[in-house]
Amino acid sequence: MVPVTLQPRRAPQREVLVEVDPGPAGPGSTRTGNAGTAQRDVLARLRDRSTARPRFDPGLAGGLRAWLEDGAGVLVARRGDDAPPLHLGPRLLLGHADQNSSSRQGPSRQREDYPSQVVTSYLVHALFRQLVTTGSVGDPLTDALDALGLHPNRAGLVRHVGLLDRRARSELRAELTNQIGHLRELTPHFAPGWLPRTDDRVAIPLAGGRVVLCGVFDLLVGAPAPGQASLCALQLTSGGPWAFARTALHYLALLETLRHANPPFRLGLLDSAVGRYVIEDVQQEHLRAMASHLVTRLALLAGADD
Amino acid sequence: MTELVGQAGLAGLEAPSGLPAPSPLTVALLRPLRADHCLVSSVEIERLSAELGALVAHRPGGPFRLTDYLVRTTLWPSASPGPSSPFAWSAGTARRGIGLAAVRTLVAGTTQSPVDGVGLAVSRAICDERGGRGPMSSMGRWLAGLTAAGRAAVQADAVSWATRLWNSLDWKAFDTPPVIGRDHWWDSPHSSLLAIRSRAEVRGSSTDGRGNPVSVHLVVLGGPRRAAVRSELSLVALAEALRPGDPRPPGRIVGWWPDSGHFVSLEVDQVTLSLGVATVARTVALLGASDRGSGAAA
Repeated sequence: MVPVTLQPRRAPQREVLVEVDPGPAGPGSTRTGNAGTAQRDVLARLRDRSTARPRFDPGLAGGLRAWLEDGAGVLVARRGDDAPPLHLGPRLLLGHADQNSSSRQGPSRQREDYPSQVVTSYLVHALFRQLVTTGSVGDPLTDALDALGLHPNRAGLVRHVGLLDRRARSELRAELTNQIGHLRELTPHFAPGWLPRTDDRVAIPLAGGRVVLCGVFDLLVGAPAPGQASLCALQLTSGGPWAFARTALHYLALLETLRHANPPFRLGLLDSAVGRYVIEDVQQEHLRAMASHLVTRLALLAGADD
Repeated sequence: MTELVGQAGLAGLEAPSGLPAPSPLTVALLRPLRADHCLVSSVEIERLSAELGALVAHRPGGPFRLTDYLVRTTLWPSASPGPSSPFAWSAGTARRGIGLAAVRTLVAGTTQSPVDGVGLAVSRAICDERGGRGPMSSMGRWLAGLTAAGRAAVQADAVSWATRLWNSLDWKAFDTPPVIGRDHWWDSPHSSLLAIRSRAEVRGSSTDGRGNPVSVHLVVLGGPRRAAVRSELSLVALAEALRPGDPRPPGRIVGWWPDSGHFVSLEVDQVTLSLGVATVARTVALLGASDRGSGAAA
């Protein structure tokens, strides 16, 4: 199958967005022939013009933070100084209730309710980390459970999977096999010198820590460089709404801007459910738009929009 | 006590012409102390040592082996909600130890990347266990018993931890090789009931206002930013000031939150050490009270 490359309207000088969707996975379609191609393409698009690292306005991070501080201040005033810190992840802030990849980014689950999509998401992310770290995955279900079993706060999920009946387990294994197949096709091997690291948590306190914006980068490569955007961020979605996953990626880019004063210069999103991906540059407009969106959400949470 | 609160990337520091600017965290850790900074005299250090010994004398609940974790969970229990459970190795509890070993090899030039450093640290721990070399390491034993997937998960966590620390500092800015991840204990010479731990991930050197060497210490912090952090860091300052063996007095303690990029810097002076003593006093009092309470309940 020949990948279809969609190239929406280009900015005058810089490529803004390149989206590649191999199309729906039909029963007869095979990905093996494209495996190396897709990997190479993802890597090439992440590296493209990467030597010319973009520079962002040095005052941008401070300005965005001040904007968000104003929004958080309104919320804190409404909740009261004694209220416990409010930890907000992309799902809550964006008013999205879907249990997809971003659902992993909040505090650990308190109740042991595990919809199948949530189970799949956790297991696929564990496999993604293994793939990035070692380059290989054995039996997907066994490996994912072995990995999650080392995290005490995932004990409930591991127990839940252990209690599945044979049919449900077979279905889950088949789904994981499908998704790890896509990930093998899409995920480049990053040389150690790229400093690949997975599950990089970001937590940006606002209003003296009473509001905390949280998120987790599935994969970061590159080293922060003062005055330069020098990181690439690669995020994974395992079947949730594509548009939301992309918005959540912009949210993470904003958090990175607040953390290190520069955003990642390029973002990638891999959809392990169907094998599509998108690589895009980060621009100041993205960050401003996301900050504006967050301030609106903070105001909604505070009820200040009445 | 001088406190600087900063954030990586926002300090706007000037670099020498032609060179890239050092990271703000590097500058916060290694820059010389203020010219008017007053180091604490040896007489005062001895007085503090005696005061601490007197604090624990005849106090129920001892012996007291104080760590930053114990201070935090004793003085601010809401900071660590949830039931306490016995220690067990997990990806979370192993990442710091493996990550520090990895950064140590990176700084020494033995490895070239955190991925390589972590791989080496894990294989060394397992080889030591299987080959019966060195002291028995419970972490090595645990790692050796994991499946390949489990070990990969541990490595992934450790790589992320090590990469953050590796990326945070300009290692060439250290005049002498930094010490990576060696915890220090101060055992009170006045009472066998008191010991204080100084946990720091990176230890280096700077100078005071007169150009004399002082030690500086970077502490990696987790959890939310909290007012209590000054007390936690003052414990490190106190243990370093009291501890014999390092000819350099402690000059600065920097606490750094990798999640947010924020850091807080305490210069070690009389006020900081007094805060440390007050922190010890409050912690010991609360531990003693809880011990007395549990004894009464029993």
